[in-house]
Parts: sequence; structure tokens; C-alpha cells
Amino acid sequence: MTSVWIMLVKKSRAILGFAAISIVAASCGTNAPQDTWQPKGPNSKIIDDLQRPVFAVAGIIGLIVAVAVIYTLIKYRDRGQPIPEQTHGKPALEITLTIIPALILAVVAVFTFGAIFKLAKTDDTEMIINVTGQQWWWEYDYPTQNEFGITQPIISSGQLVMPVGTKVLLRETSRDVIHSYWIPALNGKRDAVPGRVQTLRLEADAPGIYAGQCTEFCGLSHANMRMEAVALSKADFAKWVANQQAAYVAPAKDSLAQQGEEVFLNQCVRCHQVNGLMRADGTPAIAAPDENVWSGSAPNLTHLMSRNTFAGASFDLLSKQCRDEVWNAPSDVVGTKYLAGVTEECLNQKDLRSWLRNAPAMLPMYANATQLKATGGKYRGMPYLALTEDDISKLVAYLLTLK
Amino acid sequence: MAIIERETEVTATGIDIATPTTTYGVLKRPVAATGWRAWVFTVDHKKLGLMYGATAMFFFIVGGVEALLIRLQLAAPNGKVLNADLYNQMFTMHATTMVFLFVMPMAAGFANYFIPLQIGARDVAFPRINALGFWLLLFGGIFINLSWFLGGAADGGWFMYAPNSGPVFSPTHGIDFWAFGLQIAGVASLTGSINLIVTVLNMRAPGMTLMKMPIFTWMMTVVQFLLLFAVPVITVALFLLSFQRNFGARFFDVAAGADPLLWQHLFWIFGHPEVYILVLPSFGIVSEVLPVFSRKPLFGYPFVVFSGAAIGFVGWGVWAHHMFASGLGPVSVAVFSLTTMAIAVPTGVKIINWTLTMWGGKLVFSTAMKFSIGLIVLFTVGGLSGVTHSVAPSDTQQTDTYYIVAHFHYVLFGGAVLGIFSGFYYWWPKMFGKMLSERLGNWNFWLMVIGMNLTFGPMHILGLQGQPRRMYQWTEARAGEGLFNFAFWNLVASIGSFVLAVGILLFLINVVITARNPTKSPLDPWNSRSLEWMTSNPPKEHNFDVIPTVHHLDEFFHRKYEEDPATHTMRQIATAEEVLAEQERNADKHIHMPSPSYWPIVLAGAVPIITFGMIFSHLIAVVGGVILLFASFGWALEPSTAPESDFENQAAHGTALDKVGH
Repeated sequence: MTSVWIMLVKKSRAILGFAAISIVAASCGTNAPQDTWQPKGPNSKIIDDLQRPVFAVAGIIGLIVAVAVIYTLIKYRDRGQPIPEQTHGKPALEITLTIIPALILAVVAVFTFGAIFKLAKTDDTEMIINVTGQQWWWEYDYPTQNEFGITQPIISSGQLVMPVGTKVLLRETSRDVIHSYWIPALNGKRDAVPGRVQTLRLEADAPGIYAGQCTEFCGLSHANMRMEAVALSKADFAKWVANQQAAYVAPAKDSLAQQGEEVFLNQCVRCHQVNGLMRADGTPAIAAPDENVWSGSAPNLTHLMSRNTFAGASFDLLSKQCRDEVWNAPSDVVGTKYLAGVTEECLNQKDLRSWLRNAPAMLPMYANATQLKATGGKYRGMPYLALTEDDISKLVAYLLTLK
Repeated sequence: MAIIERETEVTATGIDIATPTTTYGVLKRPVAATGWRAWVFTVDHKKLGLMYGATAMFFFIVGGVEALLIRLQLAAPNGKVLNADLYNQMFTMHATTMVFLFVMPMAAGFANYFIPLQIGARDVAFPRINALGFWLLLFGGIFINLSWFLGGAADGGWFMYAPNSGPVFSPTHGIDFWAFGLQIAGVASLTGSINLIVTVLNMRAPGMTLMKMPIFTWMMTVVQFLLLFAVPVITVALFLLSFQRNFGARFFDVAAGADPLLWQHLFWIFGHPEVYILVLPSFGIVSEVLPVFSRKPLFGYPFVVFSGAAIGFVGWGVWAHHMFASGLGPVSVAVFSLTTMAIAVPTGVKIINWTLTMWGGKLVFSTAMKFSIGLIVLFTVGGLSGVTHSVAPSDTQQTDTYYIVAHFHYVLFGGAVLGIFSGFYYWWPKMFGKMLSERLGNWNFWLMVIGMNLTFGPMHILGLQGQPRRMYQWTEARAGEGLFNFAFWNLVASIGSFVLAVGILLFLINVVITARNPTKSPLDPWNSRSLEWMTSNPPKEHNFDVIPTVHHLDEFFHRKYEEDPATHTMRQIATAEEVLAEQERNADKHIHMPSPSYWPIVLAGAVPIITFGMIFSHLIAVVGGVILLFASFGWALEPSTAPESDFENQAAHGTALDKVGH
């Protein structure tokens, strides 16, 4: 008999545990950057308002089933009673117990439908950003939108910068495999499918940095394909736009950075565009990533140091201390801190230098010659470039000028 | 024709030999009734059932080791046990192995062994096709796993989404092995389903109407229909994939105008019914076990039958709930949201009926019963988290996170696997004539239940905290603050997975101990209710000395008990031994049994040779093709039953099993 009791206690623990888990998880205090229960915008709020009651109802039903089972186990355990009447069921009871859950679900369905159509609306869009997934980073392309001061397209990567309180519509696609765009604090996910353009509403209530992660399995570095949405106040966003559209400033003559520009022109510009960069002969340097990269593109580095991350947000451009300062800043100053960009003191030298030294050693990619047969020699990810330490120092100095 | 049917002289044989030596063309018909030949060339549904079971168990261990490696990798941030490439192979093969090579064959094993026994038949309708199915499954499973040794296994996830499954994005042969191997296993499922459907529809004992059919047989029949319609869909999808990878087709090539969502639709139109293919067999097992140990019939048998059939139908209308984030558009999403909620209703009916079966009963907590009760509770958890997924907007937050991993492991481990273990403990004496240790079984049960809750419970939290799945590493940058962050729950899950593994190890130990223990089980150890117990343990080769005539659902129980008209309780009127003795007294004199054959294994063996050739050299494929052709002719020209293979029944004459020549 004791074994029965132990069993019952343990069984009830499993159930109570799960119910408790569901409830605790709703408001759990870990502040995980990708927590799905901490909405920071109206779209995620629609989801949250729906999922909380649904989880609660599911938890309650689970409890009822558990209690009913446990009660039955205790009440009808074998205590030497005779073998009972061989009843085959009570249809009235059965039908009742079938209709009740159906009714509960019908109610849930009504609210679900409302939320589905609200989240699919596109006619109230205030700003459009094109998002393109590629192994293993995201490209952001802001089409010309004069009301936001965007008078020429802005191309960026890694971090999505957007104004607060603005209904942003992402138009997603992909250049290779399927990826999925997900900033849990702002909305659910939407797959970026090659050959299709799909939309996702994003809107942030307050300035801040909201973490995300590619959530459709996309190959070797799927786990490293991160993104961050940076919501700035409208004034800060205008500053950001102005900076992104600022003209190219060539490094000072005879500086280390100028030597770095030469290395860049010799090596990096094959794939990476820096708008306004000129060759020695006075012609603009145009990157041709489509000739070298299978998926056809490589991050535009024009204002690299205005971002906090590199390589598909896999690594921080900011040192740990400087990064924490930005991330933990209260929402009224986060914009200022973010717009300060990456200074020489704050640069995460270690990761950036290792990346330039040997990128495939830092991130699993198909970048080795033996794996390039199927792509006709084109890379998937950044290859090993055999740069000297000297070149790396020059490049870092140059990259630091790309504010 | 090269192969000419030719009679040979029938030589006198000993009692070991069950069938005669008739030669056809180049090969003599196999005759051994003992030793390895008796297994390799058998067409006996019970032997094949056991071989399915053993194969599935082997792959369960393989898939389990893969799971442990995954949990080792994820126990701490930036895990280094596996690299990204190997991790991707590992989670792909873990799912593939568990779904296609463990749960499906295990269910096929139970179905093979028990459907003929439960419906009072002596074998299945097409015994050689049955054998073919087993060998194809085994060879298909081996074929898929060969890839580990030939350049790397499939690395696209078991869902194998295009275009990531294309030759550019997965340049090893892993996905080729995967696609061809599943194709081979798919043929096994297809032939098996046709075979069992025909068996159930045509070979039930007299008096056994469909609504008097044991519930396990019913659920397995629903599963066979699901297989019959679902397997062709994945077959088509796998062909497209194989042609894309091996012959330059461009079905999923966006540059050629294809839409990669085509693959997702094909895969999930198969993949969702597949979920019910995995779990309904266990529903059937539990629906057998609960009444036996409650000493009551299944509550609302017709409701359980029809809810099973309803799940079978509605299961075809929910596939796109795997694609809520794919961008289907709000109308499709709303429709599939609704159908997904709808399918929760018949599933809920089952939970209610199981609970009410125990209500008012006389509950005996055997290990089999504990596993069944465990299923009720833990499957409910998985079912309810499934309902939260039907709410599409909520699903777009939780899909592709660990919350989904938690959900389907509660469904597949809490549902399918616990049901399978319930079946092991319940039917072990029937299959082997010996009882598994109940004491070890108790430990086995608790370690598995605690282990699975420790492993998969925390994954709910991890998912809600935002940990995506299919990531070879997780980073502290996204882990959250405080004690109960990613680090804590991932560690708990990893520890839990080893508790779970110890629980399963105890089962294997239990099997070994039981095999060495000479004690025989009683004839009817659980006071069971259905026909499979109305024969010896293990059953004779011909199952029943006389085909029983059925008057009741739970026929066996009603031959042992009758109702006391005053109290409506049941009183015993006969023991199981007496019922069986009655059977033996009326035994049939001549029993017609199918004869063993070489052809199923030869034919099945040719198929992986062909697919191997498709990958490496078409010349090898031609060799395989020739063998296949040869085996097909051999098969076609061989009568399923050798003409002089009737048995003179030992029970009828009190003599050893013997053959009579004509």
C-alpha cells in the first residue's frame, strides 16, 4: 500500500510541477533576453494577452485530470472488493464530457481568430524595412522614406534599428535556405523563405535593445545566427539615419588606417561594400560578392562601427564592459549610448582580430576548399584570408574609421 | 522461364521439421523449424513480430545514445562534445531513428504478434509479404545508418526542409542515405499496412463483428489506414528529394521557379498523420491494459473506437499547424488553428474514457498498469501543451523553441513509449512464457517517469525563456539572470536524460534476468480479457487449436466469469486452464499453415543494393536489380503454402507436431 501512496505523491508532483512551471515561467524573473512572456510592443502584447489565459486554462484542465486520476487510483485500488459489474459506459456522460472541452475550445478559437487577423494587418504600416536572410546573417535594407529622412536607401546588417512607437513592417526574404526572423519581445516569428516576400509587424513601446535568434534550422551556424532590434526614440532614430547617410570620410593620410584602407581594397572589397570608398585610380570600389559568395551577398560595412555586433550578430564589436553599459542603460539614455557607436577603447579587439585572422575557426561555415565543389568554388561564409598580423592591425585601424 | 517448378521426393523428417522439402528451380524450400534458419526464412507472424521488436529495441538504444550525446553537448554553454556538423547529424538521426526505426517498427511488432491472436486467426493474410516488410525495415534502417561510416549522416533535421536539403547545402551523401533508407522502410510500412488491413477485415474469428474487436486491434487498424495513405505522400516527397540530389532535378530550386514550401506541405501531410501513427498503437495498448487491471471493460468502447477513427480522419486536416510561421496567410492559419483545436476533442475523449475505465474498478497496480497510468497523466501534459500550440499567434512565439521539444516528447515519450513499455510488461509472459520481474519493473517505471519529467519538463521553461531548438550551442549572452536560467534548466534536463537512460537500462537488465530465470509464467497471469490469452504461453505455431467462436467483446473474460444476477458483481465459472483444455478437446485435426520461404529476405536484400548503386555507381544498382528480378520470379512461382504442409494437430492426437504427406 505504501508504494501506491508514494506513487500517488510523485504523480501529483509531476502534474503540479508542470502546472507550476507553466505559471512561474510566465513571470519568471530570469529576464532572459528572448523570454516569450515579456512583451515590449503592441504585437507581442496581442499574443501575450491570448497565451496567458490559454496557458492558465490548459494548466487548470491538466490539474483536474491529474486530481481525477489520483482520486480514482486511491478510491478504487484493490482492497479485496469483488470484481465489479461489467458496465460498458454511459453515453450521456460521454457526450457531456465531449461537448464541454469542445465549447472551451470554441471560445479559445474566437479569440485566436481575432489575434490572427490583427497580427496579419499591413494597411496601417508606417515604415518598411526589407530583411534578407542569408547563411548566417541578416541584411537590413531601408528603402527611401522621406518622412523618416531616409532619402537614399540604407543597407545595414546584424542589428535592426527602428524608431519607437512606429508600426514597422518587415518584408522578409532569403537568398539561400529558409531562415526565421524572431524578436520575441516584439512579435512571434516569421520565416524568411527564398523566392517569397513575407511580412512581419514590429513595434516597440520604449527605446531599448531586443534580442532575437534565427529559428528555422539553416545549417552549420544556425545557432550563431542572431539578431538584435534596436529601438530608438524618434529624435535618436533621425540622428542614426543622418549618420548612415553621411558621406564617406577617407582615413587621414599616412595613418595606419590609410594602410588599412589599402588592405581592404586589395582583399575585403571583393565581397564587402563600403559606400564612397575609392580606388587609387579614382574609380569607386564596387564589391562583387556574387562572384565569390554562393548566396550572393556579404555585409555592407559602410558604417560598421555604428553597430554593436559583427558576423551576423554572432560576436560583439563592443567589449563586454561597454556592451553591458549599452544593454543595461535605462530607456531614456540607451539611444545616446547606442549612437556613440564603437570607439577604439570600447572595441572588442580580441574577437575582431581572430575573425580577420581565421573566420572559419570562429564560426562553423562551409568555407574550406574541399567543401566548395558543389558551389563551384564559391564560399558559404567568410573564408580564411591568410592575412598577416600587420595587415590585421591595419585593417582594424581602418574599420574603426567606419563610424 | 528459367525457374521451373519441380516436385521432389518427400523424405521422412523428424519432429523438428515443420514443413516439407519441396524444391522449386534452384532453391529448395527452407524447412528448418529450429536454429537461425527458422528465423531468417520464417513467415510466422509471431517470429516476425519478435524480430520487429528486437530490431526496434536495437534502434531505440542507438537513438538513445544519440540523445545522450545531444544532452551532453547542451549541458553547459558553448558545449564542445560535438562540433556543429556532428551535432546537426546527431539530432537529425536521433529523430529519424526514434520515429522510423523505433516507434514504428515496435508498433509493427506488436501489431504483427497480437492482431492475429486477438482476432482468432492463425497468421496474417500475406505471410511472405509480412516477412518482406520486416527485412525491408531492417535493411532500410541499416542503410540509413551506414551513412555514419560513409562520409557522414544526414544533417538537415528529420523534417529535411528544402532548400537546406539540397546538394549545395548538404554536400555529403548523408541525405541520400536518409532518403533512400526511408524509402525502403516506407515500402515495409506500406506492405505491412495492406497486409494487416486485409487480415483484420477478412480473418476475424466467427462472431467477432467489428464492434467486438479488441481495442488494440482497432487502434492498429486505424494506424494501418493512416499508413496506407500517409506513406505514399512521403514516398513522393522522398523521390523528389532524391531526384533533386542525384539527378539534377529542380523541384525545390527557387532559381528555377520552385517554391520550397512544396516540401513542407508534402512532408507535413505525411508528418502529421505520422504523429498519430506513432501514438495510436500505444493508445491501443493502454486501452487493453487498463480494463484488465481495473477488472472492468473499457469505458465507452464505441467512443474510444470512433474517437480513434475521428483522430484518423481529422489528422489529415491539421498538417499546416507545423507551418504557422511559414507565412501561409491569416485565412489558412485560422483554418488550421481551428482543425487543430478540433482534434484535441477526440483525444480528450480517450483520456476521459481511460479515467472512467478505472472509476469503480478493482485496480491492481502491476508494472504494466503503472506505465498505462503514467501515459494517461503524461500524455495529458503533452496534449494540453499541444492545445496551446493550436493557438496560432501563441505558437509563433513557441514554435522552434524547446517548448515544442518538450511538447512532443511528452506526447511521444509520455504517450508512445510509456504505452510500449506497458505492452512489454503486459504481454511478455504471452510472448516468452516468462514474467518480467515486477520489482525491477517498479524501479524501471519510476526511473523512467522521473527521468523523463526531469529531461523534458524543464524544456517547457527553456522554450518559454526563448531557447531555440536545433542549436549546437547555447550562449550565456541569451541565458538570463538568476539561478533558474538556461544554465540551470539545461543541466537539469541533461541529468534527467541519464536518469531516464538508467531506467531503460533496468528494463534491459530485467529482460536478461527473466531470460535466465527458468520459472514459467502462469497461463493467465493478469486475469486477462481478450483472445490472445486463450492459448498457451508462448502461443503454438498455429496459435489456436480451434478457432474460437466469439460472443462478447472481452470473450476470454466472459468464458471465465459470469454475472451474479443479484449483486451484478462477477463470479468465476472457469479457470484459464479449463478454458484452454476445452479448446484442446475440440482441436481442429488439420491445420493449414503457410510455409517458410527464402524469397522475402532475398528480395528485400536486393533493394538496398539498388539504392546503394543509385548513390555510388549505377552498375551496382543493375546488380541489385537483377537480384530483385530473380527473387520476384522465385517468389511468384512458389506457392505460399507447400502442397503437403498440413499439420496433423498434436493436441488432437496427443502426439508431437508432425507432418503428413499427401
